[in-house]
Amino acid sequence: MAHAGTLEIKNLSKHYRVKGRPLAVLDDVSLAIRPGEFVSIVGASGCGKSTLLRLLIGLEGDYQGEILLDGQRVAGTSLDRGIVFQEHRLFPWLTVEQNVAVGVLNAPGGQAEKRTSVQEHIELVGLKGFETAYPHQLSGGMSQRVAIARALVSRPEVLLLDEPFGALDALTRSHLQQELERIWRAEGITAILVTHDVEEAVALGDRVVIMQPRPGRIKRIVDVPLPRPRERGSLAFTAIKDDVLGEFAPAPRSALKSPSIERRPPALDWQFSY
Amino acid sequence: MQMNINLRAWTVPAALLAFWWTLTAAGWVDTRLIVPPGNVLRVAGTTLIDPVFWQAVLFSAARDVSGFASGALGGIALGVLLGTSRWAERLIGPTFHALRQISLFAWLPLLSTWLGYGEGAKLVFIALSTLYPVTLGAFEGVRAVTRHHAEVARVYCFTRQQILFRLILPAAAPQIATGLTLGLVSAWVATIGSEFLLANWGNGLGNIIIKGRAAFNVELIIVGMLAIGIVGSLLNHVAARIERRALHWQPRH
Amino acid sequence: MTVASHDAPVLAWESPPPLPQQRWVAAARTALRIAAQGLGRTTSGLVLPLLVLALWTTASQRRWVPEQLLPAPALVWQTLQELWTSGDLILHLGYSASRVGWSLGIGGSIGLALGFGLALSRTMRAYLLPSFNVISQFPVLGWVPLLIIFAGIDEALKISAISIAVVVPVTLNTLRGLENIPPALLEVGKVYRFSPPQLLWRVLLPAAAPSLFTGLRQAVMQAWVSLVFVELLASSEGVGYLIVWGRQLAQPDLVAAGMIVIGAIGLLLDGGLGRLERRLQSWRRPAY
Repeated sequence: MAHAGTLEIKNLSKHYRVKGRPLAVLDDVSLAIRPGEFVSIVGASGCGKSTLLRLLIGLEGDYQGEILLDGQRVAGTSLDRGIVFQEHRLFPWLTVEQNVAVGVLNAPGGQAEKRTSVQEHIELVGLKGFETAYPHQLSGGMSQRVAIARALVSRPEVLLLDEPFGALDALTRSHLQQELERIWRAEGITAILVTHDVEEAVALGDRVVIMQPRPGRIKRIVDVPLPRPRERGSLAFTAIKDDVLGEFAPAPRSALKSPSIERRPPALDWQFSY
Repeated sequence: MQMNINLRAWTVPAALLAFWWTLTAAGWVDTRLIVPPGNVLRVAGTTLIDPVFWQAVLFSAARDVSGFASGALGGIALGVLLGTSRWAERLIGPTFHALRQISLFAWLPLLSTWLGYGEGAKLVFIALSTLYPVTLGAFEGVRAVTRHHAEVARVYCFTRQQILFRLILPAAAPQIATGLTLGLVSAWVATIGSEFLLANWGNGLGNIIIKGRAAFNVELIIVGMLAIGIVGSLLNHVAARIERRALHWQPRH
Repeated sequence: MTVASHDAPVLAWESPPPLPQQRWVAAARTALRIAAQGLGRTTSGLVLPLLVLALWTTASQRRWVPEQLLPAPALVWQTLQELWTSGDLILHLGYSASRVGWSLGIGGSIGLALGFGLALSRTMRAYLLPSFNVISQFPVLGWVPLLIIFAGIDEALKISAISIAVVVPVTLNTLRGLENIPPALLEVGKVYRFSPPQLLWRVLLPAAAPSLFTGLRQAVMQAWVSLVFVELLASSEGVGYLIVWGRQLAQPDLVAAGMIVIGAIGLLLDGGLGRLERRLQSWRRPAY
């Protein structure tokens, strides 16, 4: 089991310079993530959620504020933090096994240990038997699973996912969402998922962070105190989903009062036509 | 249908051969110039059992391969440098492209001034002829590495050596292979050309042809030409084979 | 580092942020990069040639290398000027140009005819294509000794040798260009009942034009390479001959001058054709 990391984001701001003028992408974002938690981040395009993830993984720097993993400042990329992108980004010249092994290339430990980890993770994502296949022989869903295995094989403390299922068809997407939940529980790590699919966010997250664009800020954080595995058809689920969706409606709406349906006495519904 | 097509492919060469034979047999042409095919076969026979001939083939091939190898290695290194480093491309790039315009054989007299007519000059010339296609291929290949893959390398903390050998070179392999194939063709042309132009009565297929020309032995010239063509094709075949094995991870269209 | 993350090259050798020890190395690199960017492409491209020129001048002045091997740059320039003013340069260029011109004409026509024939007639393709494939792999200069026997060493030899070099790329590119015409376009021609000349002029030629032009470019470059080879081997005039003459007279300044002329012509030819290609094909939208 990987050790689940504690991630703290304090007053994070980032801006780019466009034609000499600063363009604020993130503005004073603060979030404390508990170890082993699954956090979903939703937002429309341009709200900076991908930038947030890139800052967390270390692909971008030059920010104001603090990002702390287990109390240590995050600087650059590291094997403590894994990421799954929207594209699988597998190396086409490597087999499935070799691609997953890329994840432990620079990890400490012996060769035998690494090989075991690679094999375990290939099984974990359900691709046992496909070790010698090449990416061009795999479907989109399978390739993304390899990417997940690659991200987890070095047993990072945090797993970041940037719209991982956005490029897949709806059937594969829902199947992989369930798989992701299973894998997360098996590995016991902290996970942060960025998505624009509200249903996915509520189905997978312990908390849903709603971000608003221009500049990127956290609008609201919604708890999802539902038992796992989540029943997507249940009333409670739909209520929370509507609650989150409501944040994206053009006119501000207050949160739903309660999940119960109010029933008016039938008699009052009758009206005579004349 | 397949058989028909294959037969048809042979009709033209067969017809030409028949025409050639008739011309010489009927004495319509000066047989010292247009030699009868029979004579060519006879000379081919004697040449093929002559160890001097095989020695010459080996010499030419060895020159070709060593020149090609040095040119190819240099070309890959230069191409990777120009592709990865923006300021290297700005400083060296324009000079490289300008020098490329100097037609290949125009370098020979200069090389012979500096290095004489011996092996050194020929090897440098062959390496030079390989350098350009391979550099261009490697450059294209490096450019083709996607930002997505480069980010994956950063996420997994690749060292510079790992970036070069585990990301850039494999990703650029298809374009490098194309460059190497073109370089191989150039190298063989340069080998034979340098043997013609830097004639020092040494060893090589080119020299055999020169001897043939000096002795007005047209049959020998033809045999030499055939040998050049066959060795060239063989090299290309081997190269294509190696290329296919190395790039077996690519999807077949 | 204040360089925005967008601008980092795809294959950044340094991953952000740099360790404190490497910071001033990175700063030096940044300074160099900014200098190169600031200088602009043409200027930074000139740095290396100017350095080489400086080295060359010093080397010849201080006689690090004997004069027979390394001519002084000033001498080369002088030789170039003399060639120009005495009219010799134009004379030799004329010879070379006429050879290339004739060869392009002869080789080009044969190549076009062959290419069209192979593309349009299945029978022709069955009979000729395999033989053509075999012959096209054979390097042009392999033909030269045989041609010398038959045609001597005068113009006929050179033009025939260069024509052979031209035929191959023209045929291949014409064939490929015609084969790659989308059948949909041909069907339009059929629907509107184009006559053969109309089909040729309005559909085939424009659609195959890019490949035809590529064929022309390759043919010109091949012609130029073969020209130099043939003139080095067996000629008494032409730019290639200039180089040989300089070599034989042990005048490396002449050799260098000849090389510069050849390089300049090559640059003009390739650059000019490239520009022409871009103008003629403005209707194409490339992927990048």
